[in-house]
Amino acid sequence: MKEMTQLKPLIEVNQFSFDYEQLNEPLISEVSFTINKDETVLLMGSSGSGKSTISLCLNGLYPDAVEGVASGDIFFKGINIKDFEKGELNQNVGIVFQDPESQFCMITVENELAFTLENIETPREEIEPKIDQVLKTIGMVDYKYHNIHELSGGQKQKVALASVLLLDPELIILDEPTANLDPVSSIEFINLIKGLKQETQKSIFIIEHKADDWLDFTDRVLVLNKQGQLIANDTPRSLFTTNKPLVENEGLFIPKTYQKQTLKPQNEGTSKPVEANMVINNLSFNRKKTMILNNINMTLNKGEMVAIVGENGAGKSTLLQLMAGILKPKKGNITFLGEPMQKWKEQKLRQHMGFVFQNPEHQFITDTAYDEVSFGMTLNGYSEDVIKERTEQLLHNFQLSAHKWSNPFALSGGQKRRLSVATMLDETPDLLLFDEPTFGQDAQTTNELMSIVKDLQTKGTTIFL
Amino acid sequence: MISSINPTIKAGAILVPGVLLGLMFDIFTPLVYLIFIIVVTFAFTDISLKRWLLIFSPFVLFILSFSWTRMLYTSESFQGGSILFEFWYFQMTTEALMVSISLALRSLCFIALSLLFILTTDSTKLMLSLMQQLKLPPKITYGVLAGYRFLPTFRHELEILRQAHRIRGVGRAKGIKGRVQQFKRYSIPLLANAIRKAERVANAMESKGFTGDRNRTHYHEMKVRRRDWVFFGSMVGALFLTVFMSYYFGYLNIFGREIN
Repeated sequence: MKEMTQLKPLIEVNQFSFDYEQLNEPLISEVSFTINKDETVLLMGSSGSGKSTISLCLNGLYPDAVEGVASGDIFFKGINIKDFEKGELNQNVGIVFQDPESQFCMITVENELAFTLENIETPREEIEPKIDQVLKTIGMVDYKYHNIHELSGGQKQKVALASVLLLDPELIILDEPTANLDPVSSIEFINLIKGLKQETQKSIFIIEHKADDWLDFTDRVLVLNKQGQLIANDTPRSLFTTNKPLVENEGLFIPKTYQKQTLKPQNEGTSKPVEANMVINNLSFNRKKTMILNNINMTLNKGEMVAIVGENGAGKSTLLQLMAGILKPKKGNITFLGEPMQKWKEQKLRQHMGFVFQNPEHQFITDTAYDEVSFGMTLNGYSEDVIKERTEQLLHNFQLSAHKWSNPFALSGGQKRRLSVATMLDETPDLLLFDEPTFGQDAQTTNELMSIVKDLQTKGTTIFL
Repeated sequence: MISSINPTIKAGAILVPGVLLGLMFDIFTPLVYLIFIIVVTFAFTDISLKRWLLIFSPFVLFILSFSWTRMLYTSESFQGGSILFEFWYFQMTTEALMVSISLALRSLCFIALSLLFILTTDSTKLMLSLMQQLKLPPKITYGVLAGYRFLPTFRHELEILRQAHRIRGVGRAKGIKGRVQQFKRYSIPLLANAIRKAERVANAMESKGFTGDRNRTHYHEMKVRRRDWVFFGSMVGALFLTVFMSYYFGYLNIFGREIN
């Protein structure tokens, strides 16, 4: 009995269901779990399983904010969250969201942090010391007067965390906070949380589809399936060993520490005659006075897959844009299939080269998936039969046949991604460029994409990502 | 310096003379006041002459062409005075000329006044001041501020869209029909993203304890101090002085009625 009182749950979710429209097939279905004081709980689930929705339900924003329907109860320290005043619960449950671009409303760091403190009616004299204090905690004292939109993604997420810390909540929810960050910033952010955890003993609820980096301080892992049901509630060790198939079935990443070493080095020297596809010489590019790319030399061979790695803002995207001929280099030159870039005619170039953007939505120009795939072929003046056959074939290969007449914008994240690749394959291109294609995608989508790419590579396409 | 004047009072100091000037139909009053505004602009702000001229000069061209047509098509009541010249069936009278010069000068005054305001006012401070002095609801204040933050992102996204469509082989739009279609192609993804982002920002703001309630403290307290009123007083006072001068010299003409 004594132990029960000690482990009084901070949050208790009881048979909770939620949907934006009706409860027949709810997005979140009869979920029950608890979060105790000083506990770190990790929630996993594939894209679209309603993970993020749960976080907004926990701090009382949903269902009111979206006029959704909910049943069941959520208790905060034994009090039903429906009985809290508007804005009161938010002070106890703070959230750091996924997208670093869209969680601020002020221009400078100082004003954004002041905004939070003003909301909770902090007396004016106390605001500045508190801002300085929290900036020290996150290690960004020098950035007080900086504009938020000029910060890096990792810095933005730290500012978001700082706003949450100012509320001094008992529970901090982290909704895929590192999904849009490069690996270095991710680790930095996670270490910051780890340090906080040791100092402050706050409860932390992490939503992620990649558990790896969080595991060493996670007490429990919850798994949400595609139907929005909670299918696991276990310690990480037992979940990723005995219940491993459960997690794999949901298309989630198994943390590397629990994986058997199946990754043997592939591509054991397939000795093909080497043919240069693209040659880059002394390439430099600058925007105004900032040097972005400095003297780059490289050669891409036929059938090669090359990956470029670098932190956010290192100039990866710029390099890709130069290679695709959308930007003109300030110095140096690029030769593609033996011809200098400047000599390529726009239309010809597009037939030999594909470019898949980070956000698939940016590439959609028509109203249906079918038109989207056939668009390029129509433009190249193919006969109607050929177009029809090839389009059907491509849609089939990319498992999109069922969504042939759907609007591209209405597809799920993974489907959008597949469609955006399919549109580039009206002819087998000689070079396919990818700009961070797996950003924020779950394991299943990532694996699918990789197998498509490998397949293309064997056909002789050079892949650059 | 004018940039440190309370934005709400500054807006008043610009609007009141602006509206009153609209009633002055003579040449003397707006001309003298225009000179006054320009003197204030360069004496009490750090706007560079080059930057000011760069923004001001296109308006001058626009106003010149505008007043020219106004001169040719003056209404009956201003057709008095001697005929300066006749051309086809247009008649140019001295009065019509006066009215249109006055109109041009008044327009230039409005523009100089607006520039004085825009170039010395920080948008965040303006919104905070409107909330604190004019009791604008926080919901609107912070909504506008959050929207303002989106502008740079919006431009960046449009740039990417252009590139992505170029890769797909859609060239620059030709003709009106092409442009309409291009607009449609761009606007759907932009709107879809904007709506999504707006919702996220709204969620984030509420998660930070924002309720739209008026009970909140203010980190940057926008005070109205004596010098704000001094500024207001001198801007309006200068106009009255100018009006008095033109009355004294017999130039004053309010709303088409000569006052002597």
